[in-house]
Amino acid sequence: MLLADIVNTLVWWQWGLLALVPPAIIALYFLKLKRQPLEVPSTYLWTKAIEDLHVNSLWQRLRQSLLLLLQLLLIAIIVLALLRPGWSGTKLEGKRFVFLIDTSASMGATDVSPSRLDQAKREAIDFIQEMEAGAVAMVISFSNVAKVEQPFTDNRRALRSKIELIEPTNRPSDLSEALRAAAGLANPGQSGDPNNPIDVRTAEAQPATLLILSDGGFASVPTFKLGNLTPEYVAQAGTRQRNVAIVAFSTEVNPEKPGRVQAFARLENHADEATSVEVSLYLGTALLDAKTIALPARDEKTRLPGAAGASFEMQEIESGILKLQIDAKDNLVLDNTAFAVVNVPRPAKVLVVTPGTDALLLALKTDEAQKIANVSIAEPKLLETKAYQDQAAEGAYDLIIYDQCVPKTMPACNTLFIGAIPPGETAAEAVGPADGSKPAGIAGWKAGDKQGLPIVIDVNQVHPLTQLVQMGNVKIGYGRPVKGPPGTLTLIDSDAGALYSVGPRAGYEDAVLGFDIVTHEAEGKTFSNTDWPIRRSFPVFVMNALKYLGGVRSSLAAPNIMPGSPAVLRTVTPVKSILVTSPRGDRFEVPRELQNTFVFSRTDDLGVYEVREGSGNKVTQQFAVNLFDTRESDLTPAEKIDIGHEEVKAQQGKQVARKELWKWLLLGAIGVLIFEWYVYNRRVYL
Amino acid sequence: MSLAAERTSTILTPQLLAQLERLELVSRKVFRGRMKGERRSKRKGQSVEFADFRQYVPGDDLRFIDWNLFARLERLYLKLFLEEEDLHFYALIDTSTSMEFGEPTKLQYARQLAAALGFIGLCRADRVKIESLGASNKKPGPVLRGRASLWRMLQYVEGMEAGENVSLVEGVKNFCLRNSGKGILVLISDLMDKEGYEKALRFLVTQQMDVYLLHVLSPEELNPEVKGDLRLIDCEDDDVAEITVSRPLLDKYKRTLASFVDGARDFCTRRGMSYLMVSTETPVETLVGSYLRKRGLVR
Repeated sequence: MLLADIVNTLVWWQWGLLALVPPAIIALYFLKLKRQPLEVPSTYLWTKAIEDLHVNSLWQRLRQSLLLLLQLLLIAIIVLALLRPGWSGTKLEGKRFVFLIDTSASMGATDVSPSRLDQAKREAIDFIQEMEAGAVAMVISFSNVAKVEQPFTDNRRALRSKIELIEPTNRPSDLSEALRAAAGLANPGQSGDPNNPIDVRTAEAQPATLLILSDGGFASVPTFKLGNLTPEYVAQAGTRQRNVAIVAFSTEVNPEKPGRVQAFARLENHADEATSVEVSLYLGTALLDAKTIALPARDEKTRLPGAAGASFEMQEIESGILKLQIDAKDNLVLDNTAFAVVNVPRPAKVLVVTPGTDALLLALKTDEAQKIANVSIAEPKLLETKAYQDQAAEGAYDLIIYDQCVPKTMPACNTLFIGAIPPGETAAEAVGPADGSKPAGIAGWKAGDKQGLPIVIDVNQVHPLTQLVQMGNVKIGYGRPVKGPPGTLTLIDSDAGALYSVGPRAGYEDAVLGFDIVTHEAEGKTFSNTDWPIRRSFPVFVMNALKYLGGVRSSLAAPNIMPGSPAVLRTVTPVKSILVTSPRGDRFEVPRELQNTFVFSRTDDLGVYEVREGSGNKVTQQFAVNLFDTRESDLTPAEKIDIGHEEVKAQQGKQVARKELWKWLLLGAIGVLIFEWYVYNRRVYL
Repeated sequence: MSLAAERTSTILTPQLLAQLERLELVSRKVFRGRMKGERRSKRKGQSVEFADFRQYVPGDDLRFIDWNLFARLERLYLKLFLEEEDLHFYALIDTSTSMEFGEPTKLQYARQLAAALGFIGLCRADRVKIESLGASNKKPGPVLRGRASLWRMLQYVEGMEAGENVSLVEGVKNFCLRNSGKGILVLISDLMDKEGYEKALRFLVTQQMDVYLLHVLSPEELNPEVKGDLRLIDCEDDDVAEITVSRPLLDKYKRTLASFVDGARDFCTRRGMSYLMVSTETPVETLVGSYLRKRGLVR
């Protein structure tokens, strides 16, 4: 690298003259070696003294000719300086630059010292040093969101200090937002549709070079049009990456052994060699279990990571924080720890409004149902009372089951309609709660004509509401096919149409069963519409509805939240605000939003967040933020990134500039000269 | 005489002479001398110091019979007295070429030293003989006695010149052959003999003399102030040693010198000789008045 880049500065006869200098020095040295004679009383002691020193005479000789060596070194340095050694450096050519610095979790990898982000920052600062005079630059840091750290400026010190202040995040990466931020000036006035021919630019385009300092660990951005941006991708990665990651961690009640809890984890090995890691499971700080998990190497062809699962079985846990840790010495530490929060089980608050369907009430009184839900039972006339309307609007219930009755407005909770369909839009607008927030009634639930003996064709076995529900042996008298708003999922399908559907409603879900269990007629006569209640699948159906719509998840742990994504929280009591404490100890007050939810978006830190309700000091719930992202855990740098239809290869489009070494060599020569002078005068011999 | 007096000043100053007059040579051994002197001898004889009684045997000198004892015991006893005799003092000066180095030269220093000690001996009526190593049967050094001989001694000492390159062994051997008498021997040399000094000193051991070895070294030898690349030439045998002066070399030289001196001291001590390394920087007055006094050579 160094020697390949040499510029000859002298012609041949000048080199010839220079070549004479070293022999001349050596000749002069020998002349100088003509020793001065000195008569001494006796050489007796001297001979004895030098005898020992002659033993290591080579070193002695070298020591004696220190001056000669120094002079030859001086000449060598001068010759080297005259050869003008140098190496290819980079020089940024252009007037406008946009630095996109990746701050996602994978940039915290330590395969380059001290970390990829630090190297990226260093390189960005180097680039800024090499900018031509008058060039302006802008600094954007991005993870899954983009942040303009410094708008366009030619103040290099400001650019440098802003780059130095960039901090790593734990978030996944997404380039698109950063690209849009960068494109603002380059492609001005562009409407949302770049292909629109009548789109008029409001300002003159400012072409810019886009320097993406990243490891390329993000999805390609196919829809972005680069326009006047010239992208360059400077990959930030070492030569070898090793990473073992926890990509999933959850806990579940063991269905076979009641009272036992299982914890599952999925580990991935993003390395080319197989490895084994020690996995430790902690409850709080106490070690519960540890296992050694062998992980295969990454697939050579598909580049898919070698994966293995780890499962732990333990006693039932009322509440607490489960921590899973692997002891792998890899390049990324963020994904070596995972948390799962087991919150205090909160029974669902369920209101059943029914004219008196015994089968339903029976199914709600089973031990299992009692465990997970507080069921209140009411007659349909309750729907008219003010007390109910207020409670429904405030979200006092988690689930309301309307059996053959319909509320005037949809409550602020999940609902299950049996033999009825949710009220339409007009009904929703008619009555609103006192505080002005409108529980939105959703248009779109429609029931078809009553049909006799519908035959069940299919049951969605994947959806939690109809999991393990077998309808093959169930006979139904009359049913009405139901059709929900967009996003509605059919759970039980029949030859007449969907008999059981679940549809969304502004954060809640409404499940609608298209047939009665027991038909209550106006005269007080009742008759069974179906033999479902005597089938085994009926209590399962009720339990599923309680668990899913009542918000009682089958998994013990609260669902995982990715860093940077919002956490939607609900409280037991209706409070105005909650206080969330991050793992770092920062406190955030989150106000209540619509439908009694609290949206907390500052989930940047990995770990467990504590939630306190209102002014209370008691931690009512906790949730965990984990980096369960295979893409971030895979530290292999992308060789190219795709933006729009352009393919950007790593390290391209750099203008080669020369870095010269001769100044340093001359400086060294002066140093050698000074040292030689010192040696000569002080007669120091090392 | 006036010439001798002038020369005296270069070797022995009047002040030194005055100081030396008060001193006396001491031998650790009591030797038999040849003539009556001022020292007690092993021999019984005529002096005032009583030694013993002895029964009279015919032929004894009647003058020594203790008549008082005869009057009491009616037996004849001879009264014996300690004989007082002279002490033989020898000074042997190494006059090899190497002695001519230093300022003042080591030889000059050796002359002063020998003269000073010799003068002490002369003052005490001892038999003083100063010789160079090169002296032979043909031209032996003069045997001197009495203060009056001071000038002769100085003359002889002055006349010693460097350049008699006789090896130490040879010189000592010659000396021992010629001087079988017992007494004090002061050998003044720089011991710079490539054949070594051990053999020479062994001759002196057999001689049963009270030997003092004064090892004279010049400051140039003790702390050589040399620089650069040098070719050292031995003044005696033209031996050549090429050196480049460096701190380790100088350190090494000093270590060698120290071990040389220690070796000589050790050698002498083991054989009952007194060794003293003297630098020519030490004034003769100090040496004689202080160092040799401590060593017991003079009193």
